[in-house]
Parts: sequence; structure tokens; C-alpha cells
Amino acid sequence: MNIPWRMRANSVFTVVALLSVLLIVASLLVILLPILWRGGSAVVFRGTVEFRRMQLEQFQRGDTAAVRAEVERAAGVRRHAYEIIDRFSAGLDTAGLETKARQLHREFGAQLRNRNLDDDDIFDLRELSGELRDEFLAALESSDNAEALGHLETILSRTDDERRLHGTLAAAFFDMAREYRDVVGRVDLSHREEYLDSLQQVKEAMQNLLGPQSSERLPAIVMEQYGATRWDQAQQHLDHLLWSETWVAVVPGQPLVKTRAPMEERFAGTELAELFPYVRDNAEAMLRPEWTFYWRYFLDDSMSGHYFGGVGPEILGTLMVTVLAILLALPVGVITAAYVVEYGRETVMIKALRMCVNTLAGVPSIVFGLFGLAFFVIYLQPKLGLPQGSSILAGGLTLSLLVLPVIIRASEEAIRSVPPSYKEAALALGASRFRCFVTVTLPAAMPGILTGLILSMSRAAGETAPILFTAGVAMGPIPTSIAQPTRTLAYSSYDMAVGDKMAMLAPHNQFGMVMTLVAVVLILNITAIIVRGRMARKLRGR
Amino acid sequence: MSTATQSETKIESPMLERPLLLTASQNRSGWLLSHAGRTLFMLVTAVSVVAVALIFVFIVREAWPFFASRGVAEPLGSTAWEPQPHGGNADQFGMVAMIFGSLYVTAGAMILAVPVGILAAVVLSDIVPFRVRQAVKPVVEILAAIPSVAYGFFAVLILAPLMQTHLGLSSGTNAFNSMLMLAVMAIPTIVSVAEDSLSAVGRELREASYACGATRAETLWKVVIPAAHNGIIAAVVLGVMRAVGETMLVWMASGNANRIPGPWWNITESVRTMTATIAGEMGEAAVGSMHRHALFAVGLILLLFSLGLNLMTEWLLSRSRRKA
Repeated sequence: MNIPWRMRANSVFTVVALLSVLLIVASLLVILLPILWRGGSAVVFRGTVEFRRMQLEQFQRGDTAAVRAEVERAAGVRRHAYEIIDRFSAGLDTAGLETKARQLHREFGAQLRNRNLDDDDIFDLRELSGELRDEFLAALESSDNAEALGHLETILSRTDDERRLHGTLAAAFFDMAREYRDVVGRVDLSHREEYLDSLQQVKEAMQNLLGPQSSERLPAIVMEQYGATRWDQAQQHLDHLLWSETWVAVVPGQPLVKTRAPMEERFAGTELAELFPYVRDNAEAMLRPEWTFYWRYFLDDSMSGHYFGGVGPEILGTLMVTVLAILLALPVGVITAAYVVEYGRETVMIKALRMCVNTLAGVPSIVFGLFGLAFFVIYLQPKLGLPQGSSILAGGLTLSLLVLPVIIRASEEAIRSVPPSYKEAALALGASRFRCFVTVTLPAAMPGILTGLILSMSRAAGETAPILFTAGVAMGPIPTSIAQPTRTLAYSSYDMAVGDKMAMLAPHNQFGMVMTLVAVVLILNITAIIVRGRMARKLRGR
Repeated sequence: MSTATQSETKIESPMLERPLLLTASQNRSGWLLSHAGRTLFMLVTAVSVVAVALIFVFIVREAWPFFASRGVAEPLGSTAWEPQPHGGNADQFGMVAMIFGSLYVTAGAMILAVPVGILAAVVLSDIVPFRVRQAVKPVVEILAAIPSVAYGFFAVLILAPLMQTHLGLSSGTNAFNSMLMLAVMAIPTIVSVAEDSLSAVGRELREASYACGATRAETLWKVVIPAAHNGIIAAVVLGVMRAVGETMLVWMASGNANRIPGPWWNITESVRTMTATIAGEMGEAAVGSMHRHALFAVGLILLLFSLGLNLMTEWLLSRSRRKA
């Protein structure tokens, strides 16, 4: 090959190689940034008045008077929207009118008996009321505007009877007929069923957006007691209110295509049409979004699945399992490393030991989980008088085996990197090897051991497979002893991503959970990198 | 400690009263401390050996009833895995599909990860200046430190929907998804081990190559990489170990269908691995049931597999150390 080609090949190689490093950096960013960004929105977001009401009622937090006043102000704006819906549904809800008419007739009969009239009059009036009722019911039943109007006009034309019934209960028939005549004038009765369905959708969307009306009975589920607590969530619900989505077969045989049409069109020409622009333009006044820094997210327990609240118990559980694992593994790890370095002359034994440590490091994490299940949970716990089930103790023991090789390797390296002159000086002063190690080598190796400790904490906090069968639960109370299972960040991240259908309704909390886990791991690792950097500078003589 | 104060006063006094070297009988407490400490150290050191032994004993103990009653022909000869069949059918424990699944996603991940990992290792050891290297190494470390469940979370909730909308796949959780994510997870291992072995190749070799007029690409390609091949192979084997043993990611991202993909190269179909089977089914397998023993048998296969790979890496790394 001639020289220009060789030089060109050389540059191509360099560029490709540099690209691979860029690819690695890019993949880190592509994975981390969405998790941190979307998870961050669980902590920093635009909270609505519903959020503040929820915090006040469920967590007893915030200024009661201020929140109440805000709720009042929001309710003032909402009232008009509810009035529009009420007026519209009054006409459509014929089932309600039907029962009302029947009831009216019955009560009128009772009223007549209490008045001292002669039997003929009573009979006459009852007959009259019955006629009015039947006419009205016929109007309600009809799905043809002209026909219904005919029935109603028949009622309203009987002005003599109206005068006769004046002051009695049955007079209400005329009012109802007049009201319903208005409705018939506005609404196309042949589409009534369709309107009813859509109205149901609209009501649901309103409930999701604004929560139950203050006059309604409070739902039993906490989740349904509040409207959209976050502005981003509110905008989604608003979208559901304003747009109707349908799947339409555009080309036969092809997958259905989603089409969007404004809800307003469906109700064009009716009273309800007014609702949509009103809600759209006043959504902010109804919900009053404000930037919120919800730092208690990291302390709060979750409510309604993971719909409200935070990740407090998960952080606590992770901490308990991790600290237990480290407490068990650290002494063993450091001593093993010390033995290998200080007394490591019997080559066969050290070789066997090294092989064991390497094997331990290579065991797949799920096999650690199996072992923890078979040994700690099923074999050891009953011997210790504990119930046979997942527990923090079993999880901690399993994880301690998992991080043992990490600690051994880090400590060994740290102890080896202590300058021999330190040790020689101590030995020259007459210290025994053991004392020399405890008083001189170990303190000098401390930063390195600390780095290993931090890294193994991050490893233990992030592992999920070993605690699947030994310590983790998806839901449960905060444990009071180490014989109980616990929620952890890693396990809950898994559960919220795949297992928990409720969590899908609150994506910010899904991402918040995994963001917390990633943040814990990142903080630990960055600390380790900094500690190691300082140490390297110190060994180089500052 | 009485001995500590004693010896300190001795050192501070200008005149040493005792000889510099003490025999065991002259310094009994010191001798005892030294030997007791040493024995204690040895006992504690035995913990890791005992742990490895216990892991093998307990996994084998739980897996044994399965092999004793089913032999090895059924699990290694069929793809039918029906641990809890409906309607009185006999249970079946064919592990071929899941062993294939494990190897399949691992192979796919390695095809993606090995070139990138080795090139990145080359960049870090030979191309970029020290400062850049100091900046990139933490990135690689953090990539290795991110928990696998977070990778799985990303795969399910971000990557899978993207694949569904942009690649037109019916399901975003499939073999390709797990291969991509496994590659990202295996890269840090490959980079750091390969970089160590590339750095261990001496300066003399490189200088000799440059002196012969070779370009940097030629030096790396024809001299440095061949010289470091043992370490590089070890790096790849460690990457394979990481990928085969990975649980949470493949469980979440691979779709978990227990079958071999239609045409074998169709990576957009869903597969199931050994690790995912254990993680997914252990919860429903009753204590003492054949199902549970079968899952432990899968675990034993995994354990033996990783042990084999481990011995291989050690052999390779010791060879590369001896050369260097």
C-alpha cells in the first residue's frame, strides 16, 4: 500500500475509534437524562390547588385558612361549568324526570286524601293528574321532536285545568312540561342516547380534572377524592375533555387509525357547547397551578398504590438492607485482604482463596438470590427461631456475600499501595506484624478502603435479583424489625415499571422512584471518584 | 492496651533497656498478640471459602432431586417448558429454548459491544491525552454502576415505545431491545479490562513499531492488539459473563416468550433467558415441588457456566500477566 492510503486508513481508524468513545458517552446521557429529567418532575412540578388540598387533608401540611380560601376561589370559577352541565343533563336525563312524574302523581293522591274533599272531586282530580302524567311520560319516551312537542303542547293547552290545579302539587306538571319543551326545542331527541354517552365521558373527564364536586359524597378511594394535582396531568385530562378520540378503519384490512375530533363538535348547537371554551379558557383559574418543590417526596410514604406521596419507606428499606450488608461484609473483606497481603506466603492457600473470591465475584446475581432463598430464608431462619419468609436479615446476608469480593479487591489494592517505608519504619521500631498492620498500614490504607466501601454500597443498593426472594416486597408496612421484609428502591422500580398497573396512571412517580435509585448510586459513585482522586494526588505528593 | 503503653514509654526513653530482637519467651504478650491476630485473620479469611462452598452445596442440594428424577435428557433435549400444566397433563421441563435465549441475547449484545469496547479501550490507552482519559474513565465507571433495574426501566418505558412507533414492531420488548441494553451494560467491563491489558503492553513494542515506519493504526492493529490478545479475550469473556448472568434487564426487556425465534436470525421476536425464568417463576413454585427443583437446576447450570468462564478468564489473564 502506498503512503497516502496508509495515512488515510490511519485517520479513518482514529476517527472510528474516537466515535466509539463518543458513542459510550452518548449512551450514558441518553439513558440517564430522561430518567433524571422525568423523575425530577416528581419533585419539582406545577402543583395545582388540588395538590395543596391533598397535602393539607392527607398529610396535615400547609396553611389551612389559605388553602381553604384558595379552594373557595377556584370553586367560584368552577361553579359556572357545573351549572352548564346540570342544565344540559336535566333535559337529557329522562329517567330522572320519569320517576319524578310518577312520584308527583302518587304524592298528589296522598295530598288529596288529606284535604277534606268529596270523593267525586278526588276521583276527578286524580283522573286529571293521571292524564297529565301519561301525556308527559309519552313526551319523554318519544325520540321524535315533533311528536314530543305535540304531547307537551297538549298538556300546556289545558289552561283551565292549570287554573284548577293551581296551588296543588300537580301544578308542577305544567312547570315540568314547560321546562322540557325548552329542552326539546334545543336538543335533537333522535340523538339523545348518543348525547347521554358523550355526556358521561364529559362528566368523567371533569371529575378527573377537577375532582368530585363539593356537594357530592366523597369517594372512598383517596385517589378519586382529588382532581389533577399536577398541571401536566391536568393538561392531559383537559385534552381528554376537549377532544374525543376514535379508532377508525381508514383502509379496510389495515390497522385502525386514531382520529381526534373536538368534543365541542359533538355537542354543537346544544347548551353544553359553551362548556368547552369556558373550561379551556378558565382551566388555570380553576386549578391555580404554582411551581412546587416537593422535597418531602423523599420522606413521605406513598398513598393509593403509588399515586400520591413519595418514596420514604423505599429509601429507608434500601438503607437498612445496604447498611446491614456492609456491616457484615466490611470486617470480613478488610481482614481477608489484610491476610492475603500481609501473610500471603502459603501460595496454595492464597491461590485457593483468590479463586474463591473470583468465583464469588462471577456468580450471577440471580444465583445469589437462589442461594439466599435456600440457605438464609428456608434453612437458617427457622434455626434462629424466625419465621420462614423474606426478611431484611436474609437480604442483608445475601447482599453481603455479593459485595464481599468488591470490598476484598478494593481493600487489597489499598493495602498494597501503602508505601513499604511506612511498614518498615514500624517494624524497625519493634512493632509486631499484627500491630504494625493495625496502627500503621490500616490507617494509611483507609481512603482506599473507604472508596471500596462506597462502591460496594452503591452496588448493594442497586441490586434487585438477590433480594427478589429474600427481602423485597412491592407493598407493605414499614418494617419494625429486621425479621420483616421491606420495600426497596430497586425492587419498587422494577415493580412500578412492569408489575403495577396503578403506577401507569402516575408516570411521574414511576420515574421518580427510579430517579431516586439512580441518584443514590450516582452520588455514591461520584463521592468515590472524588475520594480516589484526592488519594491519588496525596500519593503523588500533592 | 497495656503492651502499647509499655512499648511507647520504652521508645521514648533515651536508653533502650531491652535488646532490639526479642525472643518469644521474652515478649510473651507480643508473641501471643501476633499469633492470635494471625489465627483470627485466617479464620475470617475462611468466610469467603466457606461462602463459595455453601453456595455450591445448597444450589446442588436443591437441584439434585430434579436431575435424579428427570435425568439430563429431558432438560437438555426439549424446548417444552410446562412446569404447571392445566388439565392433568404431565409437567415438562425442557430447557433448550431458555438456554438458547440466554446465549442468543448474549451473542447479539457481544456483536454490538465488543468492537465498540475494544476501540474505546484503544482510544483510552493510546490515542487521547491523559486529561481526556481522566475525564472518560468516570463515565465508563458510572455506566457500569447504574443498577440493572434502571437499565430495564429505560428499556421498558422509553426504548420499547420508541421501537413500537418508529420500527413498527408489534411489541417493543424483544430480543433486540435486550441485546442493545445488554451491550451498553457489558461495554464498561470490556473497556476497563481491555484497557488494562493494552496499557500493560510495553512501550518498547510500540516504539519499535513506530521506528519501522508504521502508522498508529498499523501499530495498534498489528502489534499492540495482538500482543494484548489474552487480556482482550479475557475482557470479552468477562463481558459475556456479565450478559449471561444479567437478570432484571432481560426479564423486563426481552418479552419472556419461551421459544426459539422463527427464523433464528429474527431478533425482533421475544425470547426468554434462564435468569428471567428463575426470577419470574420462583414466586409461584411451591417449596419442595418439582418446579422449584427445576428452577434450582437452571440456577446450577448458570452457576457452572459462570464458573467455567471464570476459570477461563483467570487462565487467560495469568498468561497475559506472564507475558507482560
